[in-house]
Amino acid sequence: MALSPRSATRRGVATRRRVLGAGATAGALGLSACVMPGSERASGRGAGASAPLAPDGSDHAGTEISILDDNTNLVFKQGLIEQFEAETGIVVKNYEMANFNDLHDRFATAFAAQDASIDVVMTWAGWSAEFGQAGWLQELAPDAIPEDLIRPALDAVSWDDTVFGLPKFASVQTMFWNQEHFAEAGLDPETVPETWDEFVAAAKATTVDGRYGYCCDIGNPAGAYQNFLRSLLLAGGELYDADWIPQLDSEAGIEGLTKMVELLHVHKAMDPTSLQITNASDLIEIFAQGRTSTVFNWPFQWASAVAEDAATSAGTTGNGLIPGIAVRTSSIDGSEGYAISTFSQHKQAALKWLQFAASATAQKEIVEQEGWLPVSRTILEDPATLETLPVVETYQEATQHPVERYGTPWSNELDQLLSVQIFRAMNQEAEPAQALQAAQQELLPIVEKYMG
Amino acid sequence: MTRRTLTAAERGDRRFAVLAASPAVLTIGALFLYPLGYAVLLSLYRLNDKMPGATAFIGLENYVQLATDANFHQALGRTFVFCLVTVFGGVALAVGIAALLQNPFRGRNLARVLLLVPWAVPPVVNGIMWKLIFDGSYGAVNAVLEGLGLLDAPIQWLADPQLTMGVLMLSEVWKLTPFLALMTIASMQAIPSNIYRAASIDGAGGWDRFWKVTLPNLRGTLMFLLIVQSMWSIKVFDTIYVLTGGSGGPAEATTTINFLAYLTTFSYLDRGYGAALSITIMAIVIAVTGFWILVLGRRKEKAS
Repeated sequence: MALSPRSATRRGVATRRRVLGAGATAGALGLSACVMPGSERASGRGAGASAPLAPDGSDHAGTEISILDDNTNLVFKQGLIEQFEAETGIVVKNYEMANFNDLHDRFATAFAAQDASIDVVMTWAGWSAEFGQAGWLQELAPDAIPEDLIRPALDAVSWDDTVFGLPKFASVQTMFWNQEHFAEAGLDPETVPETWDEFVAAAKATTVDGRYGYCCDIGNPAGAYQNFLRSLLLAGGELYDADWIPQLDSEAGIEGLTKMVELLHVHKAMDPTSLQITNASDLIEIFAQGRTSTVFNWPFQWASAVAEDAATSAGTTGNGLIPGIAVRTSSIDGSEGYAISTFSQHKQAALKWLQFAASATAQKEIVEQEGWLPVSRTILEDPATLETLPVVETYQEATQHPVERYGTPWSNELDQLLSVQIFRAMNQEAEPAQALQAAQQELLPIVEKYMG
Repeated sequence: MTRRTLTAAERGDRRFAVLAASPAVLTIGALFLYPLGYAVLLSLYRLNDKMPGATAFIGLENYVQLATDANFHQALGRTFVFCLVTVFGGVALAVGIAALLQNPFRGRNLARVLLLVPWAVPPVVNGIMWKLIFDGSYGAVNAVLEGLGLLDAPIQWLADPQLTMGVLMLSEVWKLTPFLALMTIASMQAIPSNIYRAASIDGAGGWDRFWKVTLPNLRGTLMFLLIVQSMWSIKVFDTIYVLTGGSGGPAEATTTINFLAYLTTFSYLDRGYGAALSITIMAIVIAVTGFWILVLGRRKEKAS
């Protein structure tokens, strides 16, 4: 049958329209099948968030759980999981360790997708605030918290008076110094500098032959924030006032940052590599290899410094309080913990894991095998702990002074904007006061946005 | 125009063809069109996971905010500079390498094979490699420069914003130039040799032959190279992530628009604004592609 050109065109157009229409319908149906951005499910609140979780006292033997952890603790994989399974009958179907720097994005993706395959996630102060506020972490009831737990350690797993998990170890930065370097420089290797000026003098004296007296890790936003926060606290400041108004450009903040800049440019005692070191593990390695004389670092520095392949040893590694600028000392908290995903289908079994990780059984292994500070009072007060881990004594002293981390839902935004200004100051492109005023102006609307 | 009525067999063949193609069409739809549609939908919402109570449909408000967002403008500026260097530098280098490898010399085939090595290196490995080479304390570059007596003290390449951007550009050009060069070599081999012979007889030297014979004949290839390299440069991510420890630093020096979209979506959990950024990046890629087609595309000769 022959068609007129017009009829043929009409028929062709009609066919095309039908095809396009079918495609559009299929697309619309597909989009409607996904989680709509405005729905309750999208926020996580409708998916599984419920009343605070309390132990139900029932037996959960045979229940399978999955855990996504960072790569800080090997003890769980090396025996503690088996012990947990033997004690509870719960099966750890999947225990995955990932690089800390990659974990945030993995969690964010999994939570946003409402992935129910992960029951337990590793957390710390910043993530507890961020993911907790998002409704992605299960709130715990008071009776889910073990009696034996050191209460300050809960800061790492809490936000806005809500507890979202249980800690797995405590961590506070203290000062480590190479006693051999001190002796070579004519300093008393046993005496810890107690003031900032004493510390600067020691750092300058130990800066010799291309080796620097002090090194730190400002190379990424989180590192820049931690180093600045520590300096601010040492200068007697606070990051926020009682109403959560930021105090970045306070006198203490400016003084703290000025001391950092002076250490690098005036005293020339800070290793310039500090500006490109992006994690504490690298810093730990630099000290353990004897490539710097002093670091302010986490407790694990001790275990690494006394390891067999280290250039340092228990006899040549000093440990003490960080010398203060305007106060005797202060420090930053780096405790970690576990939390339960809101989307978990096995919350009671997951809670058993959290309680086990915080128990004396697990804590003993974490102290002995890895050198982290315990969150179990029983283990902390055990004389054997002090014998294994001399830094415990310093830790107990340090916690008599201000120890803060200020984990907030806007931690990532703060890290990012602050690091820009810290770099400007450290590279002498701006005065510390000018840099911190710029950071303060950027941070104010962000805090306002979240705190309303 | 006349249309012939299809026979039953032909209709059956057509149905079979549609049926056979449908898995591929459905796969493309699921993996490309569906996420794209969902991203467009997300971009019309205020959706910050850390503010679940504030989720709302806001229409084009995210795009309006982008227009006045200083962070976006700065990232756009960095992306522009990065693209200028990597696109023009990469393509120019590729044409130069291809021209050199066109001339017969001993070991030419080996050189062509070796040319592919950087292209074969995974992006993450490439990033790690350059990070090690430019490390401030034990990097090879400082060691060589100090060995030659050109440096008194090591340079902190990855601690200085300008230097880090330079390292990033270098690593991208190193990684992508081989592919561009290989495409150029293939295109050069398609140019008939008699044109070169004729040009030589007319007294054209090597330089003249390159400018007046080779380049005009590479017009289509150059357009393709400029398009793909522009796309890659605008969308650069993995090298930045590895080189800067996932931060886009130092001091945001390497935070290009694509990296900003990543930070906004995954670090700040602002999925609505992040989606708007991503859709804007797609629009920029399309606009740049259109620009190259407009500038270098073959114009139809008017029928006399």
